[in-house]
Amino acid sequence: MTKSSRKAMWRPITGRHIAPYLFVLPNMLIFGIFIIWPAINGFNISFYDSNNGRTFTPVGLSNYERILSDDVFFQAATNTAVFVFFFVAISSSLAVVLAVLVNAQKSFRSFFRAVIFLPVLLSPVIVGLLWGWILQRRSGGLNSLLELVFGFEEGPGWLIDPSLSMAVIVFVGVWTNVGFYTLIALAGLQGIDPNIYEAARIDGAGPLQVFRQITLPLLAPTILVVLILSIIAGFQAYDFIYSLTGGGPYGSTMLIIQYIFESAFQPPIKYGLGSAAGVLLFITIMVITLVNFIVGRRRGDV
Amino acid sequence: MFNLSTQDRGKRSSWTTILQKPPRILDVLRGSFLILISLSVLAPLAWLFLSSFKTRAELGQRPPVLLPASFGLENYTTALDSFGFVTYLTNSVIVTVGATLLTLVINSMAAYAFAKYNFRGRDFLFVVTLSTIMIPIQVILIPIYQAVAAMGMVNTYWGLIIPAAATPTGVFLLRQYMLTIPDELIEAARIDGMGEFRLFLTIILPLTKPALAVLAIFSIIWRWNDFLWPLIVAQDSSLYTLPVAIALFNSQLVVPFNLVLAMSVLTILPVIVIFLFLQKSIVTGIAQTGLK
Repeated sequence: MTKSSRKAMWRPITGRHIAPYLFVLPNMLIFGIFIIWPAINGFNISFYDSNNGRTFTPVGLSNYERILSDDVFFQAATNTAVFVFFFVAISSSLAVVLAVLVNAQKSFRSFFRAVIFLPVLLSPVIVGLLWGWILQRRSGGLNSLLELVFGFEEGPGWLIDPSLSMAVIVFVGVWTNVGFYTLIALAGLQGIDPNIYEAARIDGAGPLQVFRQITLPLLAPTILVVLILSIIAGFQAYDFIYSLTGGGPYGSTMLIIQYIFESAFQPPIKYGLGSAAGVLLFITIMVITLVNFIVGRRRGDV
Repeated sequence: MFNLSTQDRGKRSSWTTILQKPPRILDVLRGSFLILISLSVLAPLAWLFLSSFKTRAELGQRPPVLLPASFGLENYTTALDSFGFVTYLTNSVIVTVGATLLTLVINSMAAYAFAKYNFRGRDFLFVVTLSTIMIPIQVILIPIYQAVAAMGMVNTYWGLIIPAAATPTGVFLLRQYMLTIPDELIEAARIDGMGEFRLFLTIILPLTKPALAVLAIFSIIWRWNDFLWPLIVAQDSSLYTLPVAIALFNSQLVVPFNLVLAMSVLTILPVIVIFLFLQKSIVTGIAQTGLK
C-alpha cells in the first residue's frame, strides 16, 4: 500500500511533464557548456587582449581595427575566399555530374559509388600526408610518373611554388570530399520520378537537354543542401592542409582557421585577435548560409 | 553524354533498338570517365599501401620502384613497437569508443524527447540544436579551449571525449527515425504503468537500433579521424591520438618515413574495413540525413 501511494506521489515528477526535460538535459548541457557559451564568450574575448589566456585587458574594438589592417589576416582571408569559392564550385558541380553518371551506370554502379565515396572516410591528416608525399618535386610519385610518361626532366614544384599550391589544396579538398556530395546528389536523383524522363524521351529530348531541363531543376533542393554543406566544410578546412602544406609556401595556403589556431596556440599568443577572427568567420558563414537558404527557398517557390 | 534511362530497365530494350549506336558510345565514354575517376582515388591509396612495405633505401630510389622488394612486415612490426605507437592507438580507441557510447546515450535521449513529447521550449531547443551545425568547433576554438581549461579538462580523456559527444546531426538522425515509431505503442506502455525512462529503455531503444547503428558507425569514423580538437586538448604526448601523433611524426622528421607510411596504413585500415562491411548502412544513412 505504501508502495502504491509513493508511486502516485512520484508520478507527476518523473512523469510526462518532467521526463522530456530530463531527456534533453545531458545533450543540452554539453551544447551549452561547449558550444553555445563558448560562441558567446568568443564574441566577448574579441574585445579583450590576452597573451596568456588568464589575464584579459579590455581593449574595445582595437582587435578588430588591428585585424583589418593586419597583412597576415588579409592574406588568410583572401586565401580562404579563393579556396572556398573554387572548392564549393568544383566539388558541387563535379558531385552532380558524377551522381548523374553513376546513376546511369548499369554495371558496377555500387563499385563506382563506393570508390568515389572512399576518401570521405579517411583521416584528413593522412590524406594530406599522402598527397604531400606524392606531390614532392624531386622524388614524388606524380613527377616521377610525368617523367616516365612524358619525359619531363624537372616536374612542377607543386608544393613549393606559391602559384600552384592553392590549386593543390583545392584539388586535395575536392578529392577528399566530393564523394560525400555525390552520395547526397545520388539520393536526390533517386527521388526524381522516372516517368518524367520517360515523357521527355518520348518527346525526343536529347541527353544534354534532359540534364539541363529536367535533372538540374528537379535536383535544385539537393544542390542547395550540397552548396550549404560544402560552404561550411570549405570554411572549416584545415586538417589536411596542416599536413599537406602547413599553410606555406610563404603563407599562400594559410586559411583563417590556421590564423585562429596559431594566434591562440603558437607564440606570440594573441587570444583577442584570434577570437576576433573567429567572430568574423562565424558571421561570414552564417550570412552566406542564410542568403543561400533564402535565395534557394525563393527560387523553389517560383 | 548523359544516359538517364536506367530507372526502368525493362522498358529499355525498345529504346536501345531504335538508337542502337549512340547509347553505346555514350556508355563507353561514361564508363571510361568513371574508371578514370576511380583510378585517381585508388592509385594514391595503392601507392601508399605498396610503399608501406618498402625499406628506407627503396623509398629513396629515383625513379621510384612500384613494388617493394618483399612484402615482409618489418615496417609494421617496428612501427607497432616504437615511438609510442601503441599508446596512441590505445588513446584513439579509448576516445573513439568512449565518445561514441556517450553520443549514443545522450543523442538518443534528446532525440526521443524531441520526437515524442510536447513540452514548452521544444521547438526552440531543437532549432538551437540544429543551428549548432553552423558553428564548427574550429571557428570557436579559443573559447571552447577556455571552457575546457576552466573545467580542468585539458590533458584528460574527458576533455577529448565530452565536448564532441553532443552531435547535432546525431540528434537529427535519431529524431527522424523515432518519429516513425507509432504513438499508440507508447500510450499502451504508459497504460500498462510503465515509467517514462523504462519505456525509453525497453521499447524505444530496441526499435531505434538501425538508426543507432548508423550513428555509431559515423561517430566512430568522426572521432577516429578528429585532429584539431585532440591537437589542442592533448598537450601531453601521452594523450595524443593517432592523427595527432602521425601529423607530428610527419612534420618533425624524427620517425623514418617508411614507418610513418606503415602507421598511416594501420590508421586508415580499421575505417576501410568498417566501410567494406557496413557500406550499405553508411550509404543509406547519408542518403536519409545528409550527414557526414
